[in-house]
Amino acid sequence: MFGVGGIGGPLGRASLIVGLVAAVFGMFAAISGTRSNDARVLRLVPRFAYLACAGAIGAFVAMEIALINRDFTLEYVQKVGSKSTPALYNFTAIWSALEGSILLWVLTLTGLSVGVVVKYRKKMNDPMVGWAMATMFFVTIFFFLLTLGPANPFVLGAPGVFDGPGPNPLLQNHVLVVFHPPILYLGYVGMTVPFAFAMGALITGRVGEGWLVETRRWALISWGFLTLGIILGSWWSYEVLGWSGVWAWDPVENASFIPWLTATAYIHSVLVQERRGMLRVWNLSLLVATFSLTILGTFLTRSGILNSVHAFSDSDIGPFLLSFFALIVVVSVGLIGWRGDQLRSPGTIDSPLSREGAFLANNVVFSVFAFVVLLGTVFPLVVEALQDRQLVVGEPFFDKLAVPTGLVLLFLMCVAPVLPWRKASGELLQQRLFWPAWAGIAALAFSVVLGATGFASLLTFTLGGFAGGAALRQLVLATRRQGWRGFVGRANGGMVVHIGVILIAVALAASNSYTHSQELSLKKGVVANYGGHTFELIGFRETTDDRRTEIAALVSIDGGQAYAPAVSKYKAMGMNIGTPSVKTSFAYDLYLTLEPPVKVTSDAAKIKVFIKPMVMWLWIGGGLMGLGTLLSAFPGRRRRPTDPTSARVPEAVDA
Amino acid sequence: MALITVSLLAVGTTRDTGPLTQGDRIDAITKRVACPTCDGESVFVSRASAAEAIRKQVAREVAAGEKTDTEIIGSIAQSFNAKILLVPRATGLDSLVWVLPIAVLVCAVAGLAMAFRKWRRQNTAGATGDDFALVNKLLADGVGVDPTDDENV
Repeated sequence: MFGVGGIGGPLGRASLIVGLVAAVFGMFAAISGTRSNDARVLRLVPRFAYLACAGAIGAFVAMEIALINRDFTLEYVQKVGSKSTPALYNFTAIWSALEGSILLWVLTLTGLSVGVVVKYRKKMNDPMVGWAMATMFFVTIFFFLLTLGPANPFVLGAPGVFDGPGPNPLLQNHVLVVFHPPILYLGYVGMTVPFAFAMGALITGRVGEGWLVETRRWALISWGFLTLGIILGSWWSYEVLGWSGVWAWDPVENASFIPWLTATAYIHSVLVQERRGMLRVWNLSLLVATFSLTILGTFLTRSGILNSVHAFSDSDIGPFLLSFFALIVVVSVGLIGWRGDQLRSPGTIDSPLSREGAFLANNVVFSVFAFVVLLGTVFPLVVEALQDRQLVVGEPFFDKLAVPTGLVLLFLMCVAPVLPWRKASGELLQQRLFWPAWAGIAALAFSVVLGATGFASLLTFTLGGFAGGAALRQLVLATRRQGWRGFVGRANGGMVVHIGVILIAVALAASNSYTHSQELSLKKGVVANYGGHTFELIGFRETTDDRRTEIAALVSIDGGQAYAPAVSKYKAMGMNIGTPSVKTSFAYDLYLTLEPPVKVTSDAAKIKVFIKPMVMWLWIGGGLMGLGTLLSAFPGRRRRPTDPTSARVPEAVDA
Repeated sequence: MALITVSLLAVGTTRDTGPLTQGDRIDAITKRVACPTCDGESVFVSRASAAEAIRKQVAREVAAGEKTDTEIIGSIAQSFNAKILLVPRATGLDSLVWVLPIAVLVCAVAGLAMAFRKWRRQNTAGATGDDFALVNKLLADGVGVDPTDDENV
């Protein structure tokens, strides 16, 4: 069974079997222990979780051993391994194709299961925790089965293979390949935990607010990782792909963005349930949607049914993922229907002009946005199925619908932070929105003075200033009352996230609307001018190793440092990959790409120069979103319901 | 405030944006055309040789200065049997991709409006004696601020 070759294959296969068996026993222990309330059986649950995780770690390590040792007896190593791949990219080659990425999924999932059993080790006899663990094990079993079936990374390859092409050249071109996939997976797979507790709540009938309180940090932190993963993916796209953009509405990008949208809706609407005991069915539906959309997205992009630059090759995994998706939806909807009576909310929302009213509006917009992105992603499939013709739904479609949606969301970010729960009067709103509104006008005036044009962009800057003012107002009031603790807790940390989102919105509007580009034909010794800068070709740099030949044109900008846009030819795949070179500043980036034909022996080169405003603020905004998520996860000050909630008036203090 | 905003928006949106460079025009056109050999990428995004060839064709036509952007896209679409347009048409089955989002939005907003109407009807019952007692107790305790206002917390 183990065949010939290194230790990686046998160790990997054995580890996967151990992990699968542990997950199966874990699930049965969780179910039977919970049903019979048998503490002895329930004590086994954490042990099976550890064992399943050990199995996943063993399989992951085994694959790394196989890659490091260039064990070309394995088909996966033949596909993504190469003797010439540098150590770092050889390590990351594990998640550069389908089978390895499912292995990373299993590792993340079992790691999260261990996290859950550690956190709830003293509550294992709680039926909700028991059923949540049974759900976690069930999902784990499915993914272990994938790794042992249609996505088995330890299948023996054809004999007589002694080298491979290595990972896709785009996956061995930038250090972000180390961080982006695992962080994205932590967010993507992390959504399993709140889903599992939702199932636990539905099965036990404890559909009040207890399970939400237990899982809100899991949902928030998973959301934070998903956010960071998406931002890092955009950064990677910008630094590697050479088209100067950060987001192309590619199906794989959409597959991570759609669950992000529903998860964002959830982390807002869950506050209404915690506070008012309302929207129980809606919150459960959002969690089910988020988790099932991660599976559907994986199906769409990993089955070969949709093509994308990220998508891996055709495989047999599609029917399994689709069946699993259908099962999740049917079971979840069935359970929600079964518990329908208990899920009826006791309260009502008094006014649309209230915090909960704003959250509801936010949820409508996020849900419609998620639907639009999903529709645009799958629409080519619908057309092909019904009319047998091919259709592309691309960036212009998504941009047309995303811009107005984004503007509505920005508007909600202006108003929602100042709204009280239950009901707001016009007078109160006028008072609280006064300074934020002026901040919006100031932002508009500033952008007009700087020469900004275009209605959508100007509206984005105005609403950005307005929403930023509303968020800062909240933070100022909170820190005046609570000192540094005014930055922590969901409401205040959430405002830091809002500021990050606003920066991203403004930066996207500026970089999409005001980017200029020009091709320049450079000649050694001759200075070219564009966009108020000078560009001079200093020479070429050619480097060759076993993997590739890279030719870089050395271009001095404004007579200073030389930047080196390059083109690399990867020998094994015969692909030419361009690598941009970027001069970054707070105001704008100068983004250089080397255009074909490239001849080292000549004294001329053609480069394309993009002047892209505010790109750095995208990354700063992303960082702030991450920081805000961390601050939100910290417990805020527990407020007694009868405490006054406004800052003390100075006169009153004097008196 | 509204007057200042409208005036500034009017100034910003109506002023001359200046001439586009040839590079800007090429980018704008290639963003609307799909690469024929790629997986859903636009010619602007793709680095494939087919996309490179279309970029060159667009650059030639832009440099010639004889056609509008729409005419250039039309001629490219004609040579590829319209398969490479990135925006679905607003007719036939393709129109669903435009109609459905609007239909879903209308349904969602209508649903929300109906829910609010239902909640408003339920809330007409008015406060009970217990409610008044609770408010009086809180006021007697010296709480003068709406305790449900979560600002600052």
